[in-house]
Amino acid sequence: MDILNKIERFFANISKQLSERPVLTFFLFGLVIASIGFLPHTGLIRWGTMGIFAYIIIFSVVAMGLNLLLGFSGLISLGTAGFVGAGALGLGVFMNMGIPFEIAAVLVLIISGLLGALIGLFSLKVEGIYLAIATLFVGEILRQIYTQVEIFGGQAIRIGSVRFLGFIELSMINQMQRSFLFLIITGFMVVMMVVMHNIVKSKTGRALMAMSRSQHAAQAMGISLLKYRLTAFVLATLFATFGGVMYGLYNQNVPTTAWTLDLSLFVIAMVIVGGLKSIYGTFLGVFIIYGIPNLWLKNYFGDISYIFSGILIILVIIFYPHGFVYIWYDLKKQYNRLKAYLSQKQVTQDE
Amino acid sequence: MTDLLRLLFNSLETGSVYALAALGIVLIFRTSRTTNFAQGMIGTFNAYIAAYLMLQYGFRIWLVALVALFTAFLTGIIIDTLIIRPAAKVSPISKQIITLGIIMVIIGILPWLFGVDTMTLPRFIPVRYSFLIYGADLRYNTIFVIVLSTILMAAMFWFIQYTKWGLATRVTASDETTSKLMGVPTKTVTMVSWATAAMLGTLAALFVAPRVSVYSNMLLTVQISAFFAGTLGGFSTFFGPVVGAFIISFARNFTQFYISDIWGNVIVYTSILVFLYFKPYGIFGKKPTKKV
Repeated sequence: MDILNKIERFFANISKQLSERPVLTFFLFGLVIASIGFLPHTGLIRWGTMGIFAYIIIFSVVAMGLNLLLGFSGLISLGTAGFVGAGALGLGVFMNMGIPFEIAAVLVLIISGLLGALIGLFSLKVEGIYLAIATLFVGEILRQIYTQVEIFGGQAIRIGSVRFLGFIELSMINQMQRSFLFLIITGFMVVMMVVMHNIVKSKTGRALMAMSRSQHAAQAMGISLLKYRLTAFVLATLFATFGGVMYGLYNQNVPTTAWTLDLSLFVIAMVIVGGLKSIYGTFLGVFIIYGIPNLWLKNYFGDISYIFSGILIILVIIFYPHGFVYIWYDLKKQYNRLKAYLSQKQVTQDE
Repeated sequence: MTDLLRLLFNSLETGSVYALAALGIVLIFRTSRTTNFAQGMIGTFNAYIAAYLMLQYGFRIWLVALVALFTAFLTGIIIDTLIIRPAAKVSPISKQIITLGIIMVIIGILPWLFGVDTMTLPRFIPVRYSFLIYGADLRYNTIFVIVLSTILMAAMFWFIQYTKWGLATRVTASDETTSKLMGVPTKTVTMVSWATAAMLGTLAALFVAPRVSVYSNMLLTVQISAFFAGTLGGFSTFFGPVVGAFIISFARNFTQFYISDIWGNVIVYTSILVFLYFKPYGIFGKKPTKKV
C-alpha cells in the first residue's frame, strides 16, 4: 500500500512538473522518438522499423493540421492527401529546377497556403457534407494534375540527396545520414507540436473553439467567421504541406499516384481514433492507424491484416467515440477502484 | 455525328451507373446521417462473389447477378445490425470513419476468400448483339443498362413517393427522433436502406465489371463521381443526385473528347466548384433551416 502511494506521488509530481512546462514535455517526447533513429545501428530494430516510425512522424504533422481544422473548428477536409502530395511533389519539382531545399520548401508552403485560403473563402458559402465533398473535388483535381501533367514526371519524382542548411549533404542511401534525416524530421515534428500548442492556447485557438461549438453564437460574440475559417483552412493545408515536405526530405523519391481519397480518409481516421483536440492523441491515433498494422499485424497476417485494422478502427470508435486518448481516464478510474479495493482489504486484515 | 452519338450512348451508360451509386449514397446519407465511403467497396465485394461463382461453377451471368444481389441484401443488413446500429450515438464524422473501417475489413477479406487472381465478368448481353446508327455502334447491353437503371430508379421514386414504407423512409430521413416517437420503425427503415444501397452499389459494380476487370478498386471512380453527383444535385432530394450523375457523366465525356484528355476532369470539377460557390446546396437542394 505504502509503495503504491509512493509511486503515485512520484508520478503525480512528475506529471505536475511536465504539465507546467508543455514545451519541455514536447522536447522530451521528441528525444524519446529521436532515439529510435539510432537503434538500427545497434541492431536492436530493423531499418524498416525506423522507416515506419518516420512515416508515423510525418503523418502526425499532417494529422495535427487536420485536428486543428476538425477538432477546433468542426470543419472537415477530404483533400488532405492532395496537399501532402503538393508538399512532397512540389518540393521535388522545385529542387529538380536547382532551387535549394529551404527556398523550395517555403515556395510550396506559400503556394498551398494560398490554395488553402481559397478553400477557406469557399467554406464561408458551403457547409457540412457539401464542403467535405468540395474539398474532395480539390483533392481530385490535384491528383489529376499530379498523375497527368508532364512536370511531375509520370510515376515518381526523384529528389536525390538534399543539401540541408546549405552545407550538410544528406542522402537516404547512407545509413548514418538516414538516421540524421530521421532526427531532422523528429525535430520538425516537435516544432510543429509547439506551434500547434501555441495556436490552441492563443486567441486564435479560443476563437476556433467557439466557432466549432456554435457558429452563430461565436459570430454574435464578435468573432469574424471569415478570418478564422481562413485561418483554420490555411493552417490545415500548411501542416499537410509541411508533412509533404518532410516526406520528400526523408524519402527523396516521391510517387505521384499515392495521393488518393484513401489517404485523406486515413488521416481523418487518425485524428478521430486518436482524439480530437489532443496533440498526443493525434500521435496515438497515427500509431494505431498506421503504426500497429505496419509494425506488427502485417508481419503475422499479411494481406489479411487489413481486416484487423478495420475492426480496430470500428471498435475504437464505438467504445471511445471521443478518441482513444480518453482510455487514460478509464485506466485512472480502474486504478482508483483497485486502490480502494486494496485498502479495504488491508482494513479488514488489520481488524 | 458518329462521335456525338457514341459519346451520347457512352455518357448515358456511365451516367446510369453513377446514378445508381449516387442513389445508394444519398439513401444512406438521409437515413443514417453518414457519408458512406464503403458504398463502392460493398458493391465490389458482391461483384467478387458473382465472378467467383461464375469462375468456379460456370453459372450464367444472369444467375450470378441474382445471387450477388441477394448477398448484397444480406451484406447491407449485416453491416447495419452489427456496425451501424451500435454506433448510433457516434458523431456523423466518426461514422464516416466507421465506413472506412468497413472498407478495410472488406479489402482484407477479398484476397482471403477469393484469392489474388484478377477475375472478369461478361456483359449481360454479349457484344455481338449490336446495331449501327449513323455509324455509331450501339450495343444491346448499353440499352439494357440504361433501361434497367431507369426502370429501377423510377420504381424507387414511386416507392418512396407513394407507398407507406416510402413515407416511413422520407420521415426517417427528415427527422429520425420525431419519427421514432410517432411510431415509425426507424430501425427497419435504416436496415432496409442499407440493404437497398448495397444492392444498388452491387448493380453498379456488375455494370462496370465488364469494362474493367473485377479488382478491389474497380468502383473508385464511380464512387467519387457519385459523391460529386450528390453534391451537384443536392443531398436533400432523392432525384437531385440522379440528375447530377447524368450531368457529370455528360460533362466529363464531352470535355474529355472535345477539349482535352488530360484537363477534361479538371475543367469539369473546377466548374462544378464555381457553381457550388453560387448555389451551395446543389441544383435542387434547399438550405436547411437551423435554430440557434
